[in-house]
Amino acid sequence: MKKKLICLAIVTVMMCALLCACQPDNGKIKISVGFWPENSQKSDVAMYEEWKANFEADYPQYEIVAEPYQYSPETVAAKGNTGNLPTIFQTYFTEPAMLIEEGYIRDITDQVSELGWLDKIDDSMREQLTVDGKLYGIPRDGYGMGLFINLELMYDMGLIDKKADGTYKIYDDNGDPLYPTTFQQITEICRLTAETYDNTYGILILSANKQGGWQLANMGWNFGTKALEVKENGKWTAHLDDNGMVQALGWIQELAQEGLCYPGTSLNYNDWPAKVGSDGVVMAFVGNDALAQPITSYGFNKDDFAFVPMPTGDGTSRYALFGGTPYVFADNATDEQVEGALRFLKYIGRSPETDEIAVAALEKGFTVAQSKGMPILPTIKAWKNEDYLAIADEMENRYVNVNYEYFKDFFDTIHTMRHDEEPYYCQDLYGLLDNAIQSVLSKPASANPLTALQTQNSLFQSIYLDRVN
Amino acid sequence: MNKFKAATAELPKTQTTFGNKLKRFLKRNWGGWAIMLPSLVLFAFFIWVPLFENISYSFYEIKRFERQSFVGFDNYARVFRDPAFGKAVLNTFLYAVWSIAIGFLLPLFLGLLLSETVHFKGFFRLGMYIPNIISGIAVVLMWTNILDGSNGSMINGFLSIFGAGPVTVLSDSKWVIPVIVLVMTWRGAGGTVLIYLSALQTVDSTLYEVAKLDGAGVLRRIWNVTLPSIRPTIKLLFLLQIISVFQVFYEPMVMTAGGPDNASISLMYLCYKYTFIDRDPGAGAAVGVMLALIIGALSVVYFALNRRVKQ
Repeated sequence: MKKKLICLAIVTVMMCALLCACQPDNGKIKISVGFWPENSQKSDVAMYEEWKANFEADYPQYEIVAEPYQYSPETVAAKGNTGNLPTIFQTYFTEPAMLIEEGYIRDITDQVSELGWLDKIDDSMREQLTVDGKLYGIPRDGYGMGLFINLELMYDMGLIDKKADGTYKIYDDNGDPLYPTTFQQITEICRLTAETYDNTYGILILSANKQGGWQLANMGWNFGTKALEVKENGKWTAHLDDNGMVQALGWIQELAQEGLCYPGTSLNYNDWPAKVGSDGVVMAFVGNDALAQPITSYGFNKDDFAFVPMPTGDGTSRYALFGGTPYVFADNATDEQVEGALRFLKYIGRSPETDEIAVAALEKGFTVAQSKGMPILPTIKAWKNEDYLAIADEMENRYVNVNYEYFKDFFDTIHTMRHDEEPYYCQDLYGLLDNAIQSVLSKPASANPLTALQTQNSLFQSIYLDRVN
Repeated sequence: MNKFKAATAELPKTQTTFGNKLKRFLKRNWGGWAIMLPSLVLFAFFIWVPLFENISYSFYEIKRFERQSFVGFDNYARVFRDPAFGKAVLNTFLYAVWSIAIGFLLPLFLGLLLSETVHFKGFFRLGMYIPNIISGIAVVLMWTNILDGSNGSMINGFLSIFGAGPVTVLSDSKWVIPVIVLVMTWRGAGGTVLIYLSALQTVDSTLYEVAKLDGAGVLRRIWNVTLPSIRPTIKLLFLLQIISVFQVFYEPMVMTAGGPDNASISLMYLCYKYTFIDRDPGAGAAVGVMLALIIGALSVVYFALNRRVKQ
């Protein structure tokens, strides 16, 4: 009898615990937001809470649910296969084709058209998010790859001077840039760095997490390669071993042979803010959307760096890899959820709308960034409607808190230099290029860039591109 | 005749079917079974079901972790064609060899030293065990920073005091595996040392005294008394070491991402790479099956050799 009573008590306690874990359904349409900031980012969370309150007050049928999710190709499968992707989340421009093929995201053409936003999206970005005539995402912003330069170290090495007002002089008296515009000039600066400093390297070359390949693709274009995937006779062919790519990899090999680049074969994009922030390197290839990281995470002075266009390798080819961040919608999201999530974008200042709510949200983003001491720079905008551009540009001009001269050339040329990423299996392509970089970095004296690229080229063709053909 | 009838009439009462036997067995041990039931259910759910699912996956084209069509050995053929597979197999054996050279002998040596220690024994025991209680990822991140190839890294800063270096061991395809094994040993040796220590404490001390009286020195006593006495423990740990090192995964993943140029990629990491990075779970499952077969074959060889040695 006593045993039975104990069992009964245990079962009762377990049932109560189970019931307590259940949340009451308030009948509202839930929108889980994957780009919600992590709890550690207090000021950002407070800003999002305010936006959520504003939205829910205007649309009481909806409930915004915070579900921070940092997209990665490795985790999306687990979340997608179990139906646990947030209603709306961020990814890269290279990903929609794969996400559609795997069935993780849904078509939002009708909902976006209904809001009148379809024709306001930047043409190139819309093209990248459209498959078979259907739109699968809303661009947040774009980025272009460029060269980050530590001006303080450049000045210290005597490569640039200071003006009377204490700012750095990055152009000569004829208006020509004093920063490197060719890969050869970068090598020269790296050599001078090696002569001047013991623990500082000229440049950071990434080599892991597909980010080495991401950079090498851009270098290859700038050494003359037109594209890494070419459609020939109706079939897609890999051109990873093109002459421009071999030259670009050869340039990396030359740096490694002389010990001019930061050593390591597993350096990834998470490393660059630390290496730059600790004066470990003078230069790094990065996207303009990541420039705040060394300042916010490593205390780097926002007035001590410039961000300039990618250099040329062959004297004529000069491109900036153009990518970006789109918002995409989980495959299991309903039409109502998509509509709600799109409307929520207005409340966070990420829509083409220019009414009071949208403008206030846009401004809120700037004031919070300012309070955090972040560098406020121009952005590559996702929308092209003139009323939006006028407001966004005016606000940027008002809040910009860096010396714009250090960034001017990049933003002036990005629209002519931009080069879209390869259309198929782009992240997988970058992963294979990582291997090629690693092979020359690990054996700089003996590695053959052509052989390394040929190996990866045949793998990319047989494993990936042949799937498309 | 009567006797036969009587005997057959008795049969139904005494006949014990399998069902009856099981019922009696369960009834006799119902308490034990009740305690084990949750573990058995969980074991079946988390081990056996995934195991058989994995074998099944390796013969199918998989999309969104669901079987699409039976493809026979296509997944295996694709894996065999990938140059990374050959490297991963070779590397995994290299991990095992280096792990025996470094990770198997070192704890035994430390265990022997510790058993002879008179003063501060507790301190040394704790000191050796501490790396075990640190998160594995934290340990490999720490060592990745220490072994960073730049001039300003801890190891190169230290070496520069003596005018040596800089070294870039994690970028060197010759050294990357031994270095990773060294890091694994740094973390795991403490636990193994404690197992050896407990085995050493069970050795009958009179054997040492007799060996001493026979004029045996320290090395002779270790060789003739200590090692034979703890042989079962050594054998068990040897087998466990081989099995565990064949599953090396997060160390190369975090420290080198399998590089440089797949020089440190292991079969487990390749399995993960196929499944989650290349989104090809069929190929990942095929690697998993092959890895299980290799470990199974090694275990059989080990037990066969062991039986022969015993005989």
